[in-house]
Amino acid sequence: MKIDFNLNGVQVSVDKDPLSRLIDVLREDFGLTGTKEGCSEGECGACSVLLDGKLVTSCLVPLGSAIGSRVDTIEGIRDTKLGSIIIESFANGGAVQCGFCIPGMVISAYCLLSSNPHPTEDEVRLAISGNLCRCTGYDLIVSSILDASRRLA
Amino acid sequence: MDIKDPIKRMDALAKARGETKYLSDYRFEGALYSRMLRSSIPRGRIVDIKLPALPEGYRLITYKDIPGKNALQMITADWPCFAETDVKFVGETIGLLVGPDRELLQKLFDQIEVEYEAQEPAITIAEGLACKGGAFLNGNNVHCSLSLQKGEDIEAVFSRAYRIVEQEITTGFQEHVYLETNAAVCTKEDGRFVIYASAQCPFYIRKSVCGLLGLKPDDIIVRQTATGGAFGGKEHFPDVLCGPLLVACYVTGKPVRLVFGREEDIANSVKRHPSRVRFKTALDKDGNILGMDSEVVYNVGAYLASSFVVLQRGCFHVTGCYSFPSERTKGIGVATNTYPSCAFRGFGAPQTLFAIETHMNYLASLLGKDPLEFKRRYLIKKGELTITSGPIIEDVKLVQMLEQVLKASGYAEKSKAYAIGSGKGIGLAFYNHGGAFTGNGESAIIKAHVKLVKHLGGPVEILCGQTEMGQGFQTALRKIAAQVLEIPPETVIYDNPDTSRVPDSGPTAASRSTMVVGNLVYKAALDMKRRIDAGEDGFEVETVYEHPEGYPWDQSTFQGVAYLGYGWGVCAVEVEIDKRTAEPVVKGIWTSHDVGHPIDELICHGQVNGGVVQGIGWASTELLQNIGGHFKQTSLSDYIIPTSMDTPTMSVEYVDNPYPWGPFGAKGMGELTFNGSAAAYVDAVSRAIGKTINAIPIPSEVIMDYMLDKEASR
Amino acid sequence: MNYVAFSLKQALEIRKATKARVMAGGTDLMVSAQRGEGMMPRFEGDMLLISHVDELRHIGFNASGELEIGALCTSAQIAGDSRVPWALRAAASRMGAVALRNCATIGGNIANASPKGDLPGPLYALDARVRLLSVDGAEEMLVSDFILGLKKTKLKDDQIIGAIIIPKMDEWFDYIFWHKIGTRRANAISKLTVTMAIKLDQQRKIVEDFRLSATACGAKTNRSREVESLVIGKKVQELEDLVAPVQEAFDKVISPRAMPVFRRTATKNMIADFFSRVARLPEERNME
Repeated sequence: MKIDFNLNGVQVSVDKDPLSRLIDVLREDFGLTGTKEGCSEGECGACSVLLDGKLVTSCLVPLGSAIGSRVDTIEGIRDTKLGSIIIESFANGGAVQCGFCIPGMVISAYCLLSSNPHPTEDEVRLAISGNLCRCTGYDLIVSSILDASRRLA
Repeated sequence: MDIKDPIKRMDALAKARGETKYLSDYRFEGALYSRMLRSSIPRGRIVDIKLPALPEGYRLITYKDIPGKNALQMITADWPCFAETDVKFVGETIGLLVGPDRELLQKLFDQIEVEYEAQEPAITIAEGLACKGGAFLNGNNVHCSLSLQKGEDIEAVFSRAYRIVEQEITTGFQEHVYLETNAAVCTKEDGRFVIYASAQCPFYIRKSVCGLLGLKPDDIIVRQTATGGAFGGKEHFPDVLCGPLLVACYVTGKPVRLVFGREEDIANSVKRHPSRVRFKTALDKDGNILGMDSEVVYNVGAYLASSFVVLQRGCFHVTGCYSFPSERTKGIGVATNTYPSCAFRGFGAPQTLFAIETHMNYLASLLGKDPLEFKRRYLIKKGELTITSGPIIEDVKLVQMLEQVLKASGYAEKSKAYAIGSGKGIGLAFYNHGGAFTGNGESAIIKAHVKLVKHLGGPVEILCGQTEMGQGFQTALRKIAAQVLEIPPETVIYDNPDTSRVPDSGPTAASRSTMVVGNLVYKAALDMKRRIDAGEDGFEVETVYEHPEGYPWDQSTFQGVAYLGYGWGVCAVEVEIDKRTAEPVVKGIWTSHDVGHPIDELICHGQVNGGVVQGIGWASTELLQNIGGHFKQTSLSDYIIPTSMDTPTMSVEYVDNPYPWGPFGAKGMGELTFNGSAAAYVDAVSRAIGKTINAIPIPSEVIMDYMLDKEASR
Repeated sequence: MNYVAFSLKQALEIRKATKARVMAGGTDLMVSAQRGEGMMPRFEGDMLLISHVDELRHIGFNASGELEIGALCTSAQIAGDSRVPWALRAAASRMGAVALRNCATIGGNIANASPKGDLPGPLYALDARVRLLSVDGAEEMLVSDFILGLKKTKLKDDQIIGAIIIPKMDEWFDYIFWHKIGTRRANAISKLTVTMAIKLDQQRKIVEDFRLSATACGAKTNRSREVESLVIGKKVQELEDLVAPVQEAFDKVISPRAMPVFRRTATKNMIADFFSRVARLPEERNME
C-alpha cells in the first residue's frame, strides 16, 4: 500500500507492505545507511530512530506505524544545533571506537537532551541502556553526553 | 606536546554522523546474495543433499567447485572451506547458495534438505578427552600439547612438600559480540579477484583463500571496509566467509555478498576457548609456595586453526604475575564437535590468568592469610624467570600500581569492613599480557615492514596492513608519525588497507600494532624527517622489523624470553549481592595499568574501560552453553552483555614505564585490559557470599547455587 | 494481505471480516517474524496493524471509579502515569529498554501471553480484568482467566483487546512488593518476578487481603487463592510464622522448568522478606 510519512522534514511516499520493517525502508529505499542493523530484535539499539520524537528501534517498527508520522534519522539530526553539539562532544570525548553503535547512541542522546537538557549521570545511563556498545564500556559515552549537556547552556 | 595528550580521533566525526560506510552499507552493482548451507548436526556423514529445482542464476556452490585445495590456510590448514563427506560440528559450511533475489534465494534455501548419518558427538572438554563416540582426531582427540618446567623438578618438590593443594578452575565460551556482524563481498575488478571484508587482517585472508583457486596471495586483493568491532573474532574467521565467496565469484563471474544476521553470527562463529585448569600446589609448613604444577586444557573444537598458539599463550601466562621456585605446566588442546574456538582479546591468557588469581585467593583462604599480602610476596620482578625460563627484562611496577588502586578504592578499609559472607565484597587482581608475537615470532614469522611516503609537494602517507576496528589505531599511528615529523596528525594519510597498495606489516592482533608497527613507523618517520630537513621531497622510506639481540627464544622447546615487554594491570572491583535473589551490583571499579608510555590517554582510557567491562561480562552474565553441539544463547536477548547500567564509572590510572623498543615508549594494551577484571569480580563476589567460586560465568542463578552449596546450575 | 486500521470501528470490522491477527506495537511479533536485512517479515496469515487506533490509547477512571488503561497504552505511558498502581508502573518502567517501552503496549503484552511477560504479574495480583471488543459487543474477564498458558489466550478471532480495567482505588493495598530479577540491570528479560500485596484492617492488626503472583516460573504467571487464604484473616504479628507455610504451599503452585532451585529459593526469600518487613508496619508502602 501507499505509505506517506515525513522523513527528516521531507514528505515522502513509498508503496510497500505496511508490515515491512522501517529499517529496511530507511536503508534500502532511501539509502539512509547511518541507521545500522545490529541484532534485528530491538535489543542493541543500533537502528534507533525517532518516531514522532520518541526513541524507537526501527528494526521492530512496522512501516505502517509511520503513516502520517515524522521519522528522524541520524542523517536528519546530525546538522541540527543539538545534534552537532552531541556529535562534537562524542568526537572530542573518546566516545567513538568502532562506531557501529554510535549513530544509535547519538539518537538516544538527542532524544534525552531534547526533553531533559541537564540530566544526571544516572539519567544518561538509563537513556542509553538500550544501546549496546561492546567497545567502550560506556564511561566515555556517558561523559560525552554530560559534556554536550554543559555546552547546551 | 606529550604524545599522551589526547587529540580528537580521526574516525570519530564520520562515524558519529553516520557517514562511515560498513560493508552492508555498500551497494555492489549486480551482486548476488548468498546463504550458507551448514551442518545441522555435530558429527556425522553427509549422505545426500536434496536440492529444489534451481532457476537460472541460482546455484549451490560446494567443495566440488573448488579447482584448488579445499582448505582455509589459517595458522594450520585443517579447516576445509566446504565439508566434503564428514561434518564435525554444527555450523560447518557445506555449501553457499547464491542468486540475485533475496526472497527467492531464501525460499530455495529453505527447501534444501541434507540427509546425514549421525554419529555420537563429544562436546565438552571431558567428553573430548574421553573420546566420546570414538576419537575423531589422532586417535586421542588431542589437537596439540606442550609442557614447560622451570626451576627444581616439581615431582621432587611434591615429595618434600608439607601440604599439597589441588584445585580445578573452569571458564566458559564467550562470544565476541562485535556490533557489526561478519560481512564480506568478493568481486572481480580488472581481471583480479577483490575481496571487501569487515576484518582485522586483510593479508591473512589473502593467504588463507588463494589456494582454493590455486592462486598466489598476490593474485587476490583484499580491501578492509570500516570494521564495527572485532576483538579477535575477525582475525581468522573472515576466511570462513571469504573462501566460499571467492569460489562463488570464480564460478559465477559475479560479485557475491554475504552479511550475517545476528543469530546466524552467534550460532556460527568462533568463540573464546572454554578452559579447565587444574592446579597442584606444594606448600611448606609455614604456607609458603614451593612449587606449582598445572594442567591447562582448552576446548579447541573440531579444527585447530589458530588454537595451538592460543594454548601456548595460555600456558605462558599460567603463573600470572608471580614467580615460584618451581613451576610446571602441561597444555592440551582437545578436539570436540563444537564450533572451532579462535582468537578473542587476550588470546588464551585470560583463562589462565583468571585461574591463577582465583587459585591464589583460594590458597590464601585455606591458609587463613590476607589474599593481597599472600599474593604480594610472589610478584615477579625484573630479572626473575618466567615459566619459559627467560627473564623479565623490564621494571615491574605492580607495587606502585597497587598503591594507586588501594588509594583510589579504599580497599584496605573496605576489605576489613565487609565481613566474609556479608553480601558486600571487594576483590583485587594482578594481571599482565605479553606484548606482540611470542619469542622471536615477529622476526621469524611476521617480518613486518611498513612504508612511509612523502608525496611530492603533498602530504605524508602511511602504508601498512594495520586495520582500525575501533581500537583507535588510525589515530595513534598518525599521531606517532606526525609527532616525529612535527606536522599536524590530521594531515597524515592512512587509509583502510588495500593489500595491493600496502606492505604486509603483520596482523592487527596480539597487541602488537602500536609497539611493533608503531615503532616501524616511528623509525621511518625519523628517517623521513632527516631527509625532509635536508630538502628532499617525493620519496618513500621503508622499515623492516628487527628483533633486538640478546633475548633468545627457542620455538621448538618454548624456552627463553617469551616477551620483550608486558603490559601490567591491577584491578579492584566492589560488589554487593542481594542475599534474597543473588543479584549482584557492581559498586565500583578501580584500575591501574602499565602500558609503557601511553600514545593517547583518551584512546587508552577507552581501551581500559571497554576491556574491563568485557571481562566482567565474561565472568558474570555471558553464559553461553553448548547443548548437543548447538549454542543455546544465540540472540542478544539471550546472550547477555553489559549495558550502561551494569557498571559504574571506573577509575583509570597509569604508571609511566617507557618501553625501549616501542614508539615514544609505548607498549601493547588492547588485550591487557581484558585480562584481570573477571578475577577481581569473582574475588569480590566470593567474599560477599563467603564461598569459593571456581567456575565462570556466574549469573545470579549460579551465585545462588554457590550460596546454597548446590551443584544444580553448574 | 496485511491491513492498517485507523479507527476502532474499522479495526473491528477488518478483524471480523478477515480474522487477521492483531499487531499493536510490534515489539514481540516483529521479532518472531523477522528474517534479516532487506527481507519481508514472515507472518502466518494476514496481519492487522492497529497502532493508529487512537481510541485505545487513553488512561482514566470509569464511572465506577475503576482505572481503565487502553490496550494501546505503551509501557512508557503507563510507567509515567501516577494514577496507575505502583507495582504495574514499576513493571512497565523495567520492561526492556527505552525504545521498547515507547512501542510495547499493555494489550500486546497480555495477548502474547509470554511466560516472561512483565505486566501480567501485577495485573494478576491486582485482579485486573481485560475488556474484549468485537463488532458484536464487549466482554470482560480476569486477566488471569484470559491467559490460558504459553502463548495461548481466550481471544476469539473477531475480538480485539480494548482495555485493561483495574479495580477501584479504595481496594488498593497498604503494602505492595514487586521485584524483577532480570538478566542484567537494564534492558533485561525477567528471570523471575514476584508481586505481593497486603491490605490491613483499619486498626492495622489483621490482614484483610493478600495477593501473591510470580512470573517466569511456569508456562504462565502463577497465582493461587488457596495460598493467599493462608494469610487472609491472620494477625500482622503472625506474618513471620506464616512464611514457612506460605512458601511451602506456593512452592507447589509454581512450576519452573529451568533453574528450579534458583527460582524456588528466590521466591521463598522474597516472601520471607516481604512478610518480615510488613510485620514491622513501616511507613514505606512500596517495597522492591
